[in-house]
Amino acid sequence: MSPEAFDRLQSLMASRAGFRLTRDRMKLAEHRLGPLARREGYETVEAMLASLWAKPVAALAWAVIEALLNPETWFRRDRPTFDTFAGELLPALSAARGGAPVKVWSAGCSTGQEAWSLAIGALEAGFPVEIVATDLSQRALEKARSGAYTGFEIQRGLKAGTMLTWFDQTEENWIAKPQLRAVAHFARANLLDPPTDDHRFDVIFCRHVLGDMEPARRGQVLDNLERRLVDDGCLFLGVEEVLEGDSIAFRPVAGRPGLFVKSPPALRRAA
Amino acid sequence: MTPRTCLIVDDSRIIRKVARRIVEGLGFEVDEAADGSEALTFCSGVMPEVILLDWSMPVMDGLTFLRRLRTLAGGAGPKVLFCTIETRAERIAEALSAGADDYVMKPFDGEILTSKLAEVGAV
Repeated sequence: MSPEAFDRLQSLMASRAGFRLTRDRMKLAEHRLGPLARREGYETVEAMLASLWAKPVAALAWAVIEALLNPETWFRRDRPTFDTFAGELLPALSAARGGAPVKVWSAGCSTGQEAWSLAIGALEAGFPVEIVATDLSQRALEKARSGAYTGFEIQRGLKAGTMLTWFDQTEENWIAKPQLRAVAHFARANLLDPPTDDHRFDVIFCRHVLGDMEPARRGQVLDNLERRLVDDGCLFLGVEEVLEGDSIAFRPVAGRPGLFVKSPPALRRAA
Repeated sequence: MTPRTCLIVDDSRIIRKVARRIVEGLGFEVDEAADGSEALTFCSGVMPEVILLDWSMPVMDGLTFLRRLRTLAGGAGPKVLFCTIETRAERIAEALSAGADDYVMKPFDGEILTSKLAEVGAV
């Protein structure tokens, strides 16, 4: 791929998805775009991109963007996060909501392992939840929604006992059981877009998403998350992720890595 | 701190080598056995903290070894992870009810094994 082609890809990713496509990912980008170019009937990646620049077709542009996002995820990634959620937050929030389902958003859910892990945690702890899981990538969402994972994927992070309890084995895959599917719903959303309705969540998980974003866009995403979160709600980032001047909307909770609550200025704005 | 100990029980020398590389990378001191009978002899002498166990092996299979291990003095101690090509749900359930702490389906990689060891509290 020519440096010029890569520059254009970089600005496409930044403007549409806020994604920071660093130069060290040039080889990876070519590798990821190869199968897409073949599916779309182009001889080469270069040919596909040339066609895209000449005539920007939205569907192709989004397919290119999807292929370059970072889909890496696994079950119960950052295990303490899931223990805090099921063991501490759910009991408190469920009591505060009078037993009504706790509303959870898995923002940037990729192939769904986070959403299913949350559903398992809630059902095993015996608390009603409604989980909405969103991602920018339609392909990732299709997999998430199917709830089907290979033997390789299913056991990354899940104990065998948990796997047997919550997944049915088929010829090829392990598939999320109906009880899990009943509490998780998947939809496409771009975290750069501001909310267009007033639906709000009790807990938001947006882990390992901001780290891949353009620093200039992180604040925008965090502001959107803040508007989607109830005032006494919680935000989880990855356990090693910090907010360094990205936003004043949230403050970290001491002793709970990755856990954030709304900061007083954000509460005042909301009021 | 004394290094933690792991016994790898598999009749394939190659699998033992691959598994050894992964668990040594996690700081374990590793011993090997080629079947359940060898493993049982080893455990009667020194009880390891973690055992990675194949199912199908000559002389004594993994399930028989596991059942005997759990009756030995101190035999409840080791965290036992089956690591096997057997992937049928009912066989996995059988292994867990025989006292396995977790179950790894081959093929696996370092990330899977590390996450399994973390879930059973061995790392």
